[in-house]
Amino acid sequence: MTTNISRRTALRLASGGVAAAFAAPSILRAQGAYPDRPINIVVPFDTGGYNDRLARAFAPFLQERIGQPLNVINRGGAGALLGHTYFLQQPADGYTLLCTSAGPYIPLNILTQDATFKLEDFHMINLPSQDYTLLATSKESGLTDIADVIEKLKADPGSLSIGVQPASADLVNLMILMDANGIPRDGLRIVTFDGGGPARNAVAGAVVDIGLVGGEGFLPLADKITPLLTYDRVQRDNWGGKLVTDINGAEAAFVFGSQRGWGVHASLVKDSPDVYAKILAAIEETSKDPKVIEALTSQQLATTWYGPDESNAQLAASAKVIEQYLDLLKGA
Amino acid sequence: MLDLAAVDSALALLTSSGTAWLFVIPGLLIGLFFGAMPGISITMAMAIFLPMTLYMDFLPAIIFLTSIYTGAGFGGSVPAVLMNIPGTSSAVATTFDGYPMARQGKHNEALGLALAASVIGCLASYVLLLFLIVPVSSVVLKMGPLEMSAVAIWGMLLLGSLSGNSLPRGLLAGVLGLLLGTIGMNTAGYVRGTMGVPWLLDGIPTIPAMMGLLAASQLISLVNAKYLIDDEASRKISFRRIFSGFRMTLQYPTIILRGTFIGVIIGSIPGVGSSISNLLSYSETKRNAPDGASFGTGNPKGVIAAESANSSSEGGAMATMLALGIPGGGATAILLAAFAMHNIVGGPSFIANSKDVVYAIIFSNFAQALLLLVVGLGFVYLAGYIVRVPMRFLIPSVLVVAVFGSYAIDGTASGPITLVVFSILGWAMVRYGYPVAATVVGLLLGSLVEGNLLRTWQISGGDPAYALERPGALLILALMAFSIGMTAWSARRRRRAERLADVES
Repeated sequence: MTTNISRRTALRLASGGVAAAFAAPSILRAQGAYPDRPINIVVPFDTGGYNDRLARAFAPFLQERIGQPLNVINRGGAGALLGHTYFLQQPADGYTLLCTSAGPYIPLNILTQDATFKLEDFHMINLPSQDYTLLATSKESGLTDIADVIEKLKADPGSLSIGVQPASADLVNLMILMDANGIPRDGLRIVTFDGGGPARNAVAGAVVDIGLVGGEGFLPLADKITPLLTYDRVQRDNWGGKLVTDINGAEAAFVFGSQRGWGVHASLVKDSPDVYAKILAAIEETSKDPKVIEALTSQQLATTWYGPDESNAQLAASAKVIEQYLDLLKGA
Repeated sequence: MLDLAAVDSALALLTSSGTAWLFVIPGLLIGLFFGAMPGISITMAMAIFLPMTLYMDFLPAIIFLTSIYTGAGFGGSVPAVLMNIPGTSSAVATTFDGYPMARQGKHNEALGLALAASVIGCLASYVLLLFLIVPVSSVVLKMGPLEMSAVAIWGMLLLGSLSGNSLPRGLLAGVLGLLLGTIGMNTAGYVRGTMGVPWLLDGIPTIPAMMGLLAASQLISLVNAKYLIDDEASRKISFRRIFSGFRMTLQYPTIILRGTFIGVIIGSIPGVGSSISNLLSYSETKRNAPDGASFGTGNPKGVIAAESANSSSEGGAMATMLALGIPGGGATAILLAAFAMHNIVGGPSFIANSKDVVYAIIFSNFAQALLLLVVGLGFVYLAGYIVRVPMRFLIPSVLVVAVFGSYAIDGTASGPITLVVFSILGWAMVRYGYPVAATVVGLLLGSLVEGNLLRTWQISGGDPAYALERPGALLILALMAFSIGMTAWSARRRRRAERLADVES
């Protein structure tokens, strides 16, 4: 093959091209109004989990309002630490959104994993999904009331095996219940599982006597379990067991399981209020759209609109409770 | 068992829409392609195409996604045979005999064996599923940590048979793998051996480590070879010889049956699945075969054992998903999400209420398995041309693909770095006569063994009498002891017969 282009010319052409390629988007960016290119949604979990499903189900509706395609990027691993770190490393220009279980993972990353970020680096736009801890037992276990469980554990803390995930909101909730009833923590027979799914299967199959796991995930197994205690002030998902407020009083402390939803860089709110306002409006409109609510509800995904103020306040509140029980979370 | 009315309405459902079937072949092709790309998992392939199914009707959506699942299940075996790279962790045992076969110029037969064993395994698993879906699902939830430990320990028996010439070296390599498998946060929340690297908190990334140990180490030692197959005449791609692989598969119905059974049972256990079942089936077949010693050097039975087990795990995982609404792994989690998009919630009530849909899924999988035979044949035929590529082009290309694949897993440099580190380790191990396969098996089983033993200890409070409350675990351990005993007995009888024959001659 012969050409008339000398090596030097070729190099010059190539470098010019490269320079142009680098320069072009920034020129466009300077001129165009936000958003003028596709937007990424970082999900700090692997494909198939709740956040991934939420992001993928919500994205087609959100992109209609934002006017640019949305790409979901999964950055799973290390209890969302890797994904959260990656998200914060992206420029705070509104081209990277976050869909995560903000509570309890952001506080846990900070308190137990020496994360390099602070809670204040994140700004939650809406946390529609508030999972709750459900204390349940297998249908075969013969336990029908939380009072039986407390009585048994009072007589002998090691009498029941208890399935939980290590360093989880569920573990904090277990200890709150134990402390309130004067049951020593040391004697408990705690069995740790690597995820909510395995822990729920163990409860349903009577592999452990009782288990504390996120309640929403129990729904497909509803026929196989007896719900005993819901960690919320109101009944959830028609379980019908006792509420934590029935047992520990109206002021009972507890932590929500997972508070999942949408976030941005906190610096975006301060530095680019226009961009932030656009994202906020798009997420709010999408969340309130009856068509979206119908589509997501059918997939057991939440769209309730709480707004940034309430979402951030709730996240901060559960971060505070988690901090109180920090000693529990550093290695079970 | 079989509800004939539901079968009838399932068939009506399947024949109601001809367009639904148009998605089978694209689905299989997508699955084959993504499955064959090292580093791209079945889950990833299905997640990418999940949003597309939002715009389809329920039946085409499910047929499309399960076709990807079926295709990807076999796709992983192609690079395992041709390049010693398991495209997915479920094809590890396929490399043990498939790759040696390819190097001997029997790549056509090896691919034919793998394809036929996969198709038969897949078909057989869905037949089993048709009858056993309810009993299997009731067993699955009862699998506690002690039972899982027993299964994992059974898998570890394989370490002994992978050791090659030197048992101590084999065990050392296996222990190294097990220890590497415990790096990261353990099930009780303690972090070990991460050296402060956050990417190691979930343990060593298995797929890049496996690619490095098995493939890169092989390729580096092949630098001086001109072609994968030395003999030029053997480098042919021939349908006839692929078909002879098909025929060979049919000669070993026991191996297929055993593989299918192991695959369905192990595949139905959430979180274990096909990456363990292929190892178990391989190890059982090797111990029971009269020519067990030739396993690992290109024995076709090894390929059949591995492939029938990993493809039948699909049926097992589907059983758990349909009967309990529990995803056994990422792929079934995506399928459940697709169900949910169409207002169908998996779980115990699902089978009771929508038997026709369950049967329709099973029947469509029969059809997919049969079509896989055709589509897979074409795919295998084209892929076979890799043996004609000179090594000086093949080695760099495969290494580049491996690097990209390991990057694609989570989009960070942790994959490629792991690949490089384990390539060097693998090369050194091969150089000094340590079996890399034992390390791979150890790595795959390490966290499973550790996590379940730990949980057993937590549940039992350290009381050994707990084992007596778990008849299932005792049964598994008894089966294992029986299997080992039978092997020892038949080996002794064989030796005696050989001695007798020697005396007579």
